[in-house]
Amino acid sequence: MPRTGLNIVVLDPAHGGTDQGARGTEGISESDEVLQFATATKQALEAQGFQVILTREGNDNPSFDDRSARANAQRGAVFITMHIASTGLTGTARVYVEPDAPASNNITGLIPWDRAQAPFLSLSRKLGDLVQQELSKRFKGSPDTLQTAPVRQLRTTAAPAIAVEISSVSVKERAELDRMVPGVAEAIARGLADFRPTYVVPTIPVPGGSVHP
Amino acid sequence: MNPKWAVWLGGVLLAAVIAAALYFPALRRQVNKAKDLTEKTAEQARRELLPVAPVSTGDPMVKVKMFWGSRGQEGELLPVIVELPLSRDPVLRAKQVLNTLLAGPVDSESRTLPPDAALLAFYILPDGTGIADFSDEIRTSIPSGIQSEQLAVESIVRTLEDNVPQVLRLKILIHGQEADTLAGHVDLTQLFRVNAKDAAGTQLDNPSPPGSSLPAPIRKAVESVRKATKR
Repeated sequence: MPRTGLNIVVLDPAHGGTDQGARGTEGISESDEVLQFATATKQALEAQGFQVILTREGNDNPSFDDRSARANAQRGAVFITMHIASTGLTGTARVYVEPDAPASNNITGLIPWDRAQAPFLSLSRKLGDLVQQELSKRFKGSPDTLQTAPVRQLRTTAAPAIAVEISSVSVKERAELDRMVPGVAEAIARGLADFRPTYVVPTIPVPGGSVHP
Repeated sequence: MNPKWAVWLGGVLLAAVIAAALYFPALRRQVNKAKDLTEKTAEQARRELLPVAPVSTGDPMVKVKMFWGSRGQEGELLPVIVELPLSRDPVLRAKQVLNTLLAGPVDSESRTLPPDAALLAFYILPDGTGIADFSDEIRTSIPSGIQSEQLAVESIVRTLEDNVPQVLRLKILIHGQEADTLAGHVDLTQLFRVNAKDAAGTQLDNPSPPGSSLPAPIRKAVESVRKATKR
């Protein structure tokens, strides 16, 4: 029987440490700003009853694999990596998922780390669509549909996983980004609340039955 | 001091201050201009040291589609027709179109690749895998972000797709090395599908962290690029 039950959300404020990410006006750095977005999103999700794990809470920079591992070690988790672009239309937000991957010929039931996202792509798309719809309601100029891009962080994540990119650090003043924080947090929390009832942990077909990843 | 002299000296000093105030903005403009000139000259000197794809006058002029960013539509590519003398040799042809892509469109806002990045080498393996080796600037000068990095890779892939049919898939190296990402976001460990005829699904079939299991022919080519870069 497929298992349902989304309990844990792993939020990944990208960059950190010596990697400041995109840098903009007024000394804005992506790594600091994105932490603020993630913290507000954590509060909004906890208010919906989710357990939330942040991949970093301070100015450190875990590796891509360490960040993925936070989600891969959980059952019934989703993963959201949060970014702010250095260019692009300010006041908008986009959701990305991995492009389609060819079917794995894996017969062991084990998911190769390098392709951990592959069995979760359809769930990632479903989650991404729901979050993008909420973001486009709140931020004019945002796309109506999610985008695909080979985002490195998503590839090794064995859970429904999306990247949210907010545009951009090239705002006239920091307050423009600050004003987006509650809307982004609310959109993600709402999207996840809509996604929760449909979440079914996928199974991998193996000879003689199927296994849960 | 004689008061007459004091007034005269004061007048001269005042005139000097006014002249300096008037001259200062012009001086600052000249200094900035000189700084730009020095930077451009350094970049030009570096480019001159790099092997540029030879353009033979005997090469036929061909109308090619270059894919640069669309100014009107955020995050989209726009095909632009450019007439170039193009070699029939696929490797030279690939170098010529990629150098044109790097040189950028007339409208610099539509650039997808940083102006100071350079193509260091391009190879095509017998199985149709193209290997493009770019200088470090493709990573250090590109605007960081998923959309901008995706647009950069897409512009390379679509320009090759349209002009060099022999390239079925593409591996991007930076300064002779495999890179995890372009500038922190887009995954470069994979092969990008260039041509729809590449039904083998190589695009995501061989993702590998730097230094691990790339298919043997690609590994060999990567090694040769790496050695050539070290020299």
